Amino acid sequence: MKEILKVDQLNKRFKNIHAVSDISFSVQQGDIFAFLGPNGAGKTTMLRILLDIIKADKGKVNWNINGNNHTLPDSSQIGYLPEERGLYTDVPIIRSLIYMASIRGMEKQEAKEAAMEWLGKVQLADRAKEKLQALSKGNQQKIQFISSIIHKPSFAILDEPFAGLDPVTQESFIEFIHELNKQGTTILLCSHQMQLVERIAGKVFLINKGEEIYNGFLNDIYSIFGDRLIIDIGFSEEIPDNKINSITGIEKIEKQNNRNIQVTFKANVNISEIMNKLSGIPGISHIKSHNPTLHDVFLALVKKEQNING
Amino acid sequence: MNYFKQLKTVAFWEYQRFYKLKNELIGIAVLIIMGLVGGSVGAGIQSYAEAEKDITITITDQESPELKKALSEKFTVDIIDASQQDDFIEKIKQERKGLLLCSDGDIFMLHAYKEPRPINDIQNVLDTYRQNLAIKEKGISTEQLDYVLEPAEFEKEYYREEEAQYRTVAAYVFVVLMIMAVFSSFAYQFTGITGEKQLKVTEMIVSAIKPKVWMDGKIVGITLTGLSSMLSYLVIAILGGIVIFILANISAASVLKYIHLPSIILFFLFTIMGILMWNAFMAAIASIITDPNNSGKSSIMFIPVAFVLNSFFVISYPESNLATFFSWFPLTSPSTMPILWSITDIALWQLAGSFIVLTATFYLLRTLAAKIFRVSILISGNEPSWGEVFRLAWRA
Repeated sequence: MKEILKVDQLNKRFKNIHAVSDISFSVQQGDIFAFLGPNGAGKTTMLRILLDIIKADKGKVNWNINGNNHTLPDSSQIGYLPEERGLYTDVPIIRSLIYMASIRGMEKQEAKEAAMEWLGKVQLADRAKEKLQALSKGNQQKIQFISSIIHKPSFAILDEPFAGLDPVTQESFIEFIHELNKQGTTILLCSHQMQLVERIAGKVFLINKGEEIYNGFLNDIYSIFGDRLIIDIGFSEEIPDNKINSITGIEKIEKQNNRNIQVTFKANVNISEIMNKLSGIPGISHIKSHNPTLHDVFLALVKKEQNING
Repeated sequence: MNYFKQLKTVAFWEYQRFYKLKNELIGIAVLIIMGLVGGSVGAGIQSYAEAEKDITITITDQESPELKKALSEKFTVDIIDASQQDDFIEKIKQERKGLLLCSDGDIFMLHAYKEPRPINDIQNVLDTYRQNLAIKEKGISTEQLDYVLEPAEFEKEYYREEEAQYRTVAAYVFVVLMIMAVFSSFAYQFTGITGEKQLKVTEMIVSAIKPKVWMDGKIVGITLTGLSSMLSYLVIAILGGIVIFILANISAASVLKYIHLPSIILFFLFTIMGILMWNAFMAAIASIITDPNNSGKSSIMFIPVAFVLNSFFVISYPESNLATFFSWFPLTSPSTMPILWSITDIALWQLAGSFIVLTATFYLLRTLAAKIFRVSILISGNEPSWGEVFRLAWRA
């Protein structure tokens, strides 16, 4: 696969905050590359540097779309859904979409056809002539999404595409992103909603406080976490902390509420022994074991990083 | 995508967003209706005032027939018996109406409940009456009086081209139109840029086009909006003028002398460049403002008023050094130079020089606006200070 974006040792400071610190990564053509981290980790700053909206203090960004090496490709090749959503609310939807496509180089007729096609996909074709302000927030988000990819870009940057969406619309957005990718668009998405991202991304870059925590394939990241066993336990009465703590091999216990806990066991523990112990604890209403999620891995990596840094 | 294609797209978008012919026509119709209503109310007030002047003045039978005659030329005069004078004054107080004029030698006394509206007319009648009495007393003939009052013979010969005075009228028209265009552009530029920041459209757009192109497109689009408003009003004014000329039976030739093609071209050039320059200026200011309701910088956008005021100074003192300075200073030259050219002698090199300075200023302001816009786009928290803005713009 061809390398379409290469970022080398990027740095950006805002007064006393090191927003981006020595970040390097590359994206291959056809990837769905996820840039993950909590709020304030430096994700949006990173994207703004890639798009030349703000300048890096140090480092290089090299784009290589359609065989052309550039520091910034032509806007017709790039789609961008910013975290800060906004469109012209007092203008008919179809006009807004045509304008957004036109400034990215699409001809008016072609833009109109593309807009109607996408509006059909999101079931808003009959509302094309209405003003954006007449739509619900979720539908406005759909229009915002269309406006960022309507011109069929080679590379789409989606910043927090799932933010503020209800679960049904989130599922639709996952489908849209898959479809876009199938059409040949390489995707770089930023999010803090890791459970959604791990369903679509092939590669991930974990960032915390402007620094790289992990950069690689999603499948590989779980091996870092090891063969830890995670068990969710629900109680019908008060949680018997002393009995839970007496089980050997526990790495950490996370109390989710007064009736539910998540227990993470160290690698290679004896599962049957643990199950025997649990069966002797009264008041357990349910038990569910699962593999570590991206969220679990992220927390583990942040903790590891903090331990290394002292 | 090339610069001009993007510029055209943005300019056309801004123009379509703000210029609504329907709204423009509604605005003009409202103005005409207000004018007609204002005119009718004015006419009503005038006729009421005239009716108020049609009053009755009462005098006693002891007053001279000459006084009665003098008053009768302007007012209705009633005569009462001298013995009724006190009763009449009492009646004025009770009924709050009526006027009684009495004289004692050269002194006149008016009795009324309050000052009557035509008090000046009464004064004029009494002045004339007294002058006639004095002429009679001194034995001066009418011919002698006419000779004394005859004005001095005063002939005038002006060497300025006759057509120059007609150009002055055109200059006024263009200045007024330019003021309208600048102020309508001001509103659109302000709401356009601050509105986009509030709607958070900015980041989406600047990922697609360079801030410089976007800013240029906005300046051109909103200038076109201002010019369109200006032309709408000009067309309506011309149509209204034609109607008035037809009704007043004024010949077409006497109207055509006001139309001087070189002046019109000159005014248009300065007006268009002036509007562009002011739009660039206002775009730069609007770029800094994050919240138009709470920004101390909004008032800066009223600076264009300065150029309106200097136009009046230039008309009053066209030969002054300050007027010459205004005709070159780019913030004032768009309105000043055309006026100065109309009413004084300006060499062609001065016109060209002033226009070049104006164009260069527009170019610089537009570059500065784009830089300020670039650094202010993503500022959504505290509004930056002037110092911060210029420091960031310098680095951009």
